[in-house]
This record gives sequence, structure tokens and C-alpha cells, in this order.
Amino acid sequence: MLFTRECKKIFRSLTFIIYCAMVILMFFTQFWPELDERVTSSTIESYELTKISGEPETIMPKALDSLTGCYFSNTYRCYPYGLLKAVHLNSRDNDKIKGYIIEISGLNDDEMEKLKAASSFSHVRIGTNELESYNVNHVPLREDITYGRFREIMGEIDDILGGGSDYRPDDLAYKFSQEPMSHAEIIEQYDDFIEKDHIAAAYGRLLSDYLGIVLAVIPVFAAAALVTADKRAKMDELVYSRRISSFRLIFTRFSALVLTMALPVLLCASITAAKIMHMYKGDAPDIAGAFTVPGIWLLPNIMLVTALGMCISELFSAGMAILVQFAAWFICMMMTSSPLYGHIGRYTFVCRHNSLFYRSEFMEHYSDFLFNRIFYTAAALAAVLLTVIVYELKRGGRFNGLVLFGKDSIFRRKA
Amino acid sequence: MNSMIEIRNVNKFYGRKQALYDINLTIEKGMFGLLGRNGAGKTTLMKTLAALHQKKDGDITVCGIPIERAGEIRAMTGYLPQDFSMYPSMKTYEALEYLGALSGMKSATLRERVTDILHKVNLTEQRSKKVAQLSGGMKRRLGIAQALIHDPQVLIVDEPTAGLDPEERIRFRNLLCELAEDRIVILSTHIVGDIEATCEQIAIMDEGKILWQGTVNQLISNACGHVYTANVERKFMPQLKKNYIVTGMITQAEYATVRIVSDEEPDLPNAVLTEPDLEAAYMYCLHISGCDVKGDEN
Amino acid sequence: MDWCYSARIVYSDVRHNFLLHYLLAAAVVFITPLFFSVSGLDSRQAAQPLEMIISLTGTVLLTPVFMPEQNGSIRDVIRSKKTPYLLTCIVRLCIDMLILAALAGISVLYMKKCRSEVTFLHFAGTAASAMALGSLGFFAAGLSNNVIIGYMASLLWYIINFTAKDKLGVFFIFSMMNGSFDEKKWLLALSFALILLTFVYLSYVKYKI
Repeated sequence: MLFTRECKKIFRSLTFIIYCAMVILMFFTQFWPELDERVTSSTIESYELTKISGEPETIMPKALDSLTGCYFSNTYRCYPYGLLKAVHLNSRDNDKIKGYIIEISGLNDDEMEKLKAASSFSHVRIGTNELESYNVNHVPLREDITYGRFREIMGEIDDILGGGSDYRPDDLAYKFSQEPMSHAEIIEQYDDFIEKDHIAAAYGRLLSDYLGIVLAVIPVFAAAALVTADKRAKMDELVYSRRISSFRLIFTRFSALVLTMALPVLLCASITAAKIMHMYKGDAPDIAGAFTVPGIWLLPNIMLVTALGMCISELFSAGMAILVQFAAWFICMMMTSSPLYGHIGRYTFVCRHNSLFYRSEFMEHYSDFLFNRIFYTAAALAAVLLTVIVYELKRGGRFNGLVLFGKDSIFRRKA
Repeated sequence: MNSMIEIRNVNKFYGRKQALYDINLTIEKGMFGLLGRNGAGKTTLMKTLAALHQKKDGDITVCGIPIERAGEIRAMTGYLPQDFSMYPSMKTYEALEYLGALSGMKSATLRERVTDILHKVNLTEQRSKKVAQLSGGMKRRLGIAQALIHDPQVLIVDEPTAGLDPEERIRFRNLLCELAEDRIVILSTHIVGDIEATCEQIAIMDEGKILWQGTVNQLISNACGHVYTANVERKFMPQLKKNYIVTGMITQAEYATVRIVSDEEPDLPNAVLTEPDLEAAYMYCLHISGCDVKGDEN
Repeated sequence: MDWCYSARIVYSDVRHNFLLHYLLAAAVVFITPLFFSVSGLDSRQAAQPLEMIISLTGTVLLTPVFMPEQNGSIRDVIRSKKTPYLLTCIVRLCIDMLILAALAGISVLYMKKCRSEVTFLHFAGTAASAMALGSLGFFAAGLSNNVIIGYMASLLWYIINFTAKDKLGVFFIFSMMNGSFDEKKWLLALSFALILLTFVYLSYVKYKI
């Protein structure tokens, strides 16, 4: 059968071997340490779980402290395109911010200076970035300021900063009202972990979170390599001349790629399941979750990256596919904003949930999550169909791929 | 169902450059030779027949099926491209099985068929060798095997003998003749010897046009009365090549015996009219069609 | 070797084989300020665009050195000529390194002009990270005779730096963002070792010259 032959071809390719190595490496360096320790009702305390209260009494003073600190160092963290951009204002705009701080706090210039002198200075780490920051605490808050007016001011500040700042009114609650969970809430988390997630589903989510990062880009290499293998071996015409329909050939290759690339993921899930069985003997884990969650979560990743890889390779070249998808991955990575759990939107491609807990937050967005995964599966199938069309055109001699530069460039081609 | 390829008024362009001019051909069961110089349009025509190229206008039917139905055409056509190659890391039998699968063959029949075909092209011993380790001749034979694996009604082979040693070449021709007993085999070549040994029907192409079509004997008889041999001093050779089409030459010391194609009796002291061979007949055909075939370089 | 001829070889190489890669590397550099802030940064912040983006010019430039001759028959033709093939590769590599240094230099100077706190060490560190990424791609492409494998190796190393930062030790390419320049000399040593190893492999094992 053609399918098994395609699989065999993939198994033998160096790109696939490197792919496996990468998945396994990711698994053992990132995920495996999470399985070191058994989560019990007492060890769960060490996970420092937090919650978002959303109460103005918490938000306002914290936001004000943060804003004042940023004002002192004139460094504001913004994510205008999802990428972190440290904004430094000119003195006029910075003075405007000062005006707002004075309006909220009721301090005068002298008191501000004193406050600055009393504040400690340090580097704050956000993701892979480090920014300088003044640690300002307990800036007084005027009693008569309402939360409505406060939000308004924050909105204006966000505009001055060019958008995407910490002070965006809708983000205030999440950014400034996180607080540690109470003991009762932590126990509730533990109960969810044991009773609703049956342990394995929680680990399944975490596994998907880690593997999802690499699976959002590395399948492109194997896909691009398989698509261009015919050309490399100078046998594209030979394949063109066979009886098989373009539809069947492309779909066979696509499914062979997806299946083979799902195997190492399955292996990781199996290892996880075995370890859970061993570690949580008394808690009756339901290991199905260690397979179903990564299945739903990661298959669309592999499918879309593979399909796009095939499509772009067929349209342009393998190099172009790698370039485009690496750039896309980079942007996805930069756009992932904290918190790394519970915030899976309808169109975020790299879904994150970097915790064993917070099941209820995850379930809150569960329908979005499902929509998201179905959407990307459909997108993958659409990309495969496009590949079929491109392949069929090339096969009949009606189209020879797009060349962007050089003699045969589409920019130079006439008529 | 008829077993014929019919080509009617076919034109083909690469961008603005016209590659085929108003081609008309009828090809019947047996060996059909397509003879022409390099760049004459043979490969273009063959690729068009294998449904790998689009034609601009005209009609082509293969065994009654119009070429536009590419899927059906591909199912009954075996194609050996001019520069055949295969994934170098595959073994010979794996390569055949893979391409057989692409031709839509069932696994059960494929195994058996691969063994048969490897035997037929004399590659049984190389069965488990990697494609990269095969010699040029073996690779060609693998090429013909892959084109035959699905037992096509039409076999299209593009310059199959290029780069083969004489022994391999003879074996290859014989194989093609055998295959042509029950199917259409179209062979393109610029080597007259290949055609002479194998084909009954031939067509001569140049610059995208069919110059002539018929049997080998007709071609030879056309040239009757236009081929001469003569003994000349070697120092006159450059002069001779400028004035006549020289198709053969045997040198002995100061003298050379040359074979000349000419419309009228050449102005040489000892020129004798001779029986034309296919090579001379081919040159004559090119000559009367207005092609520049003289041996001089200016 | 006749210098006129070598200039000719270099010219046609650049024109036909690598111009696109040079332009792409330059594009990477010029696009950076659109997405990352480059002005008024302190030493650590300034390292971010340099290490995360500018270092990728190494992958773009060094990986495809063997690409034009990836096809075996072309390679054989080239290798049959008087000018040794590997010498051509060394020349290409030198040009790539010059361009890489120039691009890193332009980035650092531009950031300095924008009042960022950058020093010569930033330049050297950026170049070292770029060289490291590029030389791994070069190495992998040379050994496997497949440029895709080269890009893969190089980009995977880069991706690992995102996810396993604490486990890489001296092979961490984003170290300047943590204020450490120590790793850079190791990276530079590693890149020259990889390049040397590639040439040793090609000349003594693969081609047995």
C-alpha cells in the first residue's frame, strides 16, 4: 500500500529522526521534572497557586505602584503587536503621566521626589526579557477617586503608551489583582485534580502545553523535506506520470506525515501514563486523559504545520516554507502573554496551560478551545486541498511554482 | 477500442516561444521511432503525450481517449524520462514497488509483478541493491521496468540508449522490440542506429515540426540516387565538407573514402552512386526539408 | 591564484547563488526596529533584539554555503575544476562572516545612536551568537548534504534556547540578556571548531582528497 511506503520513506529520513529527537528532548527536559514529585493535599501548597480577585480595592493601589515605578524609570512594558516593546516616553508625555499619578495619589512634586529616592531599583524578569524597574510600594491613593475615573485615566495612559500596556483597562484585573489562594481554595484545586481530572488529564494538559510549543514549528521540516524529495531525486516527472490522482497522492503523503509525527507524541503520552500509574497507585488515576487531551490538543498543531509546510513548499520552495513558518512561530511565541493558563482564545494557535491545576479556568474557555482546535484542523485540511490544486496544476504543466526573485521571477514575467 | 495514438494539429508554446508547430501524427501498435536532432521538440512532444504538458490547441487521443482526461491517460501510459532517476536510498525492488503503488497497483499483485519485471529486464540479482549503486545501464533498465510495471498499453521512452555501452544498447533495443509486440512503444532518439534496429514506422522532427513520416524503407528509397561514395585526398576534406553533406568517412593514409549526400552527381573524379543507408537517408531528408546539415563550422 | 579570476568567481557566486540570502539577512536587520524597541535601552535590554533577532543572520548566511552544489552532478563538475571546491567554500564563508559582522556592527551602532547602552562586547556577543547558529547549520548541511537539515539543526538550537534556557550552560545563546558575556567566547570557539570539523570531514572522509 502506498501509505505504508510513504511512512517507510519518512521513517528513514534524517529530518524525521531529528524531529523525534527534538520531541523526546523537549519531553525529558521540560515535562519530565514535573513528574518528579507526587502531588498530594500537602505538597500542593508549594505550587503557590494564585487567583484573580478583580476587586478595585486591590487593583487600584497595585496599578498605581506599578505605574509610579515605571514613571520613575521611564520604562513601560507594552505588547503592541504581541511582541514586548519597552516604551520610553519623551519628557512631555512622561509629564502627562506624572499629572495622572498626581491626580490619583494626591502627592505633590516634592513628595514624588522623596518617594523616588526611597524606592529600590532592580531588574524585573518577564519571560525571556529583563527590564529595569523601581520597586515602589504603597503610593497613597486619594480617597475620593472612583474606580470608573481610575479606569478612564488608565485608558488614557494606555493610549499615550501606544496601546498594549499593562494599564489597558480590560487587563487591569488580571495584571493587578492576583493574590495567593486561600487554603480552602487550594484544597478545591486538589479535589479538581483528583476527582475531575482524574490526575492524568491534568498531566495531559501540561504535556500538551510543553510539546505544543515545538509542535507548532518543527513538523514543517519533515513536511518540506518529503515534498521536495521528488525534486531532489529528480523524479518529479516520473511521479507526475503515474496513474494515481493528485488528491490521493497528496492526502496519502499528508496522512503519512501526520501519523508518523504523532508517534513520538504517543510515546511521550505512554511514558507519562505509565509513570502516573506507578506514582498515583492509590488515587485511581484514569490514564485515558493522558492520551485524549494531547490527542485533541496536539494533532491540529501537527496537521496545520504539516499542511502549510507542504503547501508552501509546493508553491514556492522548502526554504520558503521553513522561513515563513519559523517567523510565524516566533510571532506566536512572542504574542503568548501571561498568564500561561486558562486564556485559550478562539484563534491562538499555540495553546498554553502551563500548570497542573486551574482546571475550572480551563473549562471556562473549553468551548473556545474546542472551536479553536476544530478551526485549525479545518484550516489544515483546506491547506492540503490547496496543495492538491497546486500539485495538479504543476503536474499538467500549467504551473511551475512561484519564483520570487531572479530571472524567472513573477515580478519580471510578462503577460 | 482502437489501439492508436492520433495527434491532430497540435501546437505548443513555452511562454511566447513556439515549441511544436501543427503536429499531425498517427501512431499504431508496434515500435514507433521519433528521430531528430537535439532540441527538435521530441521531448516536448513525448511529455505532451504523457499528459505532463499542456498543448495550446489541436487534439490528441490515445487509444480513443482524449489527452485532457489525464488520469486515464496516465493509467495506460508508461513513461521513461530522458534523465531517469530515483530516490537513491531506496532498494531496486522498493523503488519499483513504490512507483507501482503510485500507479494504483494492489499490494498482492505488485510483489509478483516486481519479481517478473526484474527478471524481464535482467535485474534479479540487483534486487536488493540500492538505486545509488546501480550502473548507468542498470539504472536505464530499472527505468524501463518502472515504466512497464503496470503493464501499460503505451510505452513512451525518451532517448533511452544515451550513455549506454554497445552491448547494453543492443540488449535494450531487443527488449523494446519484444515489448512492442502487444503495445505501442514510442522511442525518441537522435541516434539513427537505434531506429534502424528496431522501428518500422518513424517520424523525423526538426524545430518543432514533423518533417517526414513513414516506414524506414520508404525513407531509404527516397534517398536512392542521392548517395555517393568517393575517394578523395585528405587535404581536400575541409573543402569537401563545405560543399557536400558528408555522412561517413573512412581514412587510409593520404586518402579517405567518403559517403556523400547530394541532390546531383557530385563534381568529383571517382564518385560512385551507392545504396543509401538509414543515416544517409535521414540526412537527405533533413537536407531536402531545408535544414542546414553540412559539416562545416561556419 | 590569479586575483582577477578569483574576483570573477566571487562575483558570479554572489550574483547567482547568494544575493537573495544576503538581502534576507539585511532584511532581518532592518525589520528588527519595527517590532522591538532599540532606543534608550540599558545593557541587558539592548541584548534582547541583538541576541533574539540579529543572531539569526548567522543561520541565514552560513547554512546555505553548500547549497548551489547540493546536486551531485553539479558538485562533481565544480570539483573537477582547477580551483579547489573547498577553497570556494572558504571564500564564501569569509564573505558571509564579513557581512555578518557588518550587519551586527550596523545594528549595534544604530542602537548606540538611539542612546542605548551598547558596547563593543555587545557587538562581539551578537556576532558570536550568530556565528554559533550559522556554523551549526553549516556543519549539519555539510555532513548531510542537505540544506534543509542545516536550517533544521540551526533553528532547533535556537528554539531550545527559548524553552530550556537554564540547561544549556555555555551553549546558551541569549546570555547577554542575563548580563553575562562569558558564554560568548565558548560559542565562538565552538563555531570555529564546527567549521573546521566540517572541512576536515569533507576533505578527508567524504571526498578523500
